[in-house]
Amino acid sequence: MVLVSITQSSANVHAQSEKSTLKGDLTISAAASLTDSFTALVRQFRKDNKGIKIHLNSGSSSTLVAQIQSGAPSDILASADLLNIEKLVASGNVVVAPKVFARNTMAIAVKPGNPKSVRSVADLASLPFIALCGKTVPCGVYAASVLTRAGVSLSESKVTRGIDVKAALSAVANGDADAAIVYKTDVLAAQSAVVGIDIPAAQNVKAMYGIAPIRGSKNVSTAKAFIDFVLSEQGWQILKSFGFQRP
Amino acid sequence: MSARERRIGAETPRFVWVGALLALLFLMLPLVGLLKRVAWSGVLGSVTSGPASEALRLSLVTSIFATVIALVFGLPLAWVLARVEFVGRSILRALVMLPMVLPPVVGGVALLSAYGRSNGLVGGLLYDMFGVQLTFSPAGVVIAEAFVALPFLVMSVESGLRSIDPRFEESAATMGVGPVRRFWTVTLRLLLPSLVAGVAVAWARALGEFGATITFAGNIEGRTQTTPLAVYLLLENDPEAAYALSFVLLAVCVVVLVAMRDRWLGRRS
Repeated sequence: MVLVSITQSSANVHAQSEKSTLKGDLTISAAASLTDSFTALVRQFRKDNKGIKIHLNSGSSSTLVAQIQSGAPSDILASADLLNIEKLVASGNVVVAPKVFARNTMAIAVKPGNPKSVRSVADLASLPFIALCGKTVPCGVYAASVLTRAGVSLSESKVTRGIDVKAALSAVANGDADAAIVYKTDVLAAQSAVVGIDIPAAQNVKAMYGIAPIRGSKNVSTAKAFIDFVLSEQGWQILKSFGFQRP
Repeated sequence: MSARERRIGAETPRFVWVGALLALLFLMLPLVGLLKRVAWSGVLGSVTSGPASEALRLSLVTSIFATVIALVFGLPLAWVLARVEFVGRSILRALVMLPMVLPPVVGGVALLSAYGRSNGLVGGLLYDMFGVQLTFSPAGVVIAEAFVALPFLVMSVESGLRSIDPRFEESAATMGVGPVRRFWTVTLRLLLPSLVAGVAVAWARALGEFGATITFAGNIEGRTQTTPLAVYLLLENDPEAAYALSFVLLAVCVVVLVAMRDRWLGRRS
């Protein structure tokens, strides 16, 4: 939070020095794990460019891709993996080559106080209920690789699958799931609602986040300006404050 | 009767017809679209394969249980609301109807706060005393479905009870028929059409339940993943199966409506 306020004050100087000519409406489809960080990015971007209205559409990356492919108007896709954004490239929905803007890792989330004393991925096998994302949703795919790398196989009869990463995390924070494999940034965002347990690098994945403007956007220049902002040092500082790593 | 109908038809202004036609189009177009997307040659294969058939089986079992619960508890509640005068009855009725208008996800959150093992009002007690965990269990699915279905049954039965001419029951009483027997032989028989309608609507609502189920009971393949949940999750990785399952749900609903219509018409004539 401190970091964000520092970047905000420097942004005000930035806004005064450079006269903004951007305007119009922008719809950004962002992965569920980007909800908080992109809300902050959008707020900052709008401070610098007052004439712009931005709508944030969040959901699992695979849902967002399906929406765009079936014609939902969207100017930008920010995906939690590169596979889904590649799908859009393959279907011809992307104007410019996607750029990687952040990296994330997976972590285990358990209830406050860690009542089941979970210390590792291997401990998940003995828990009654684990919350994961859908099998084709990026966080579900990443969780599957984590489990494979750790040599743990979970019976499908104890896995509840959330529609996106926020839903999986909520099953632990508000429901009766004993643990979830989610992004590290989501554990940080949930604050005291869950406790995070790190997964060692050897078992973990590098979740690469990609961003690209969408074909058919009525506001290509504004979309590109926002993407440049996300990739800028100022944008990076905001992402970093939410726990993202350099790609 | 038919002459009267014709007279009413002649009085209908043109803009009403236009509005009605647009409403019909609005309702039918998505269904036509759905039917067009169904890959007919693969329906049977999609529906009888692993997760889809599991989901259908689970949906069938849980929705029947939920409907039975709605019937067993909804009938007495409807009776009290329809026939007993007491202070605050209209407030009570509004409370009973609340789950009908409540967003189902909110219903699921509410169920968690009551029956959740870790944060629920009585859920922890249930678990500690009886080892019962409703969340992530098929019983939890039944609870979620019954929670949203029960008000539909109550509403239908209550209006049915109100429309029964009290003279039938009064004359049975004067003939010395006791209240319990009077209920089974007179009231229930007169009530049957609205009871059947209430059961059908409650069952259809239970079968289609999504938000409360995924929030409260989770989404576990073969355990709590009902057909609507499977449709939603299959839409991304196996759209053909999703459309096939959607078609099955649609077909079931159509069959229910047609069966009910025949029943009602048979009763009336």
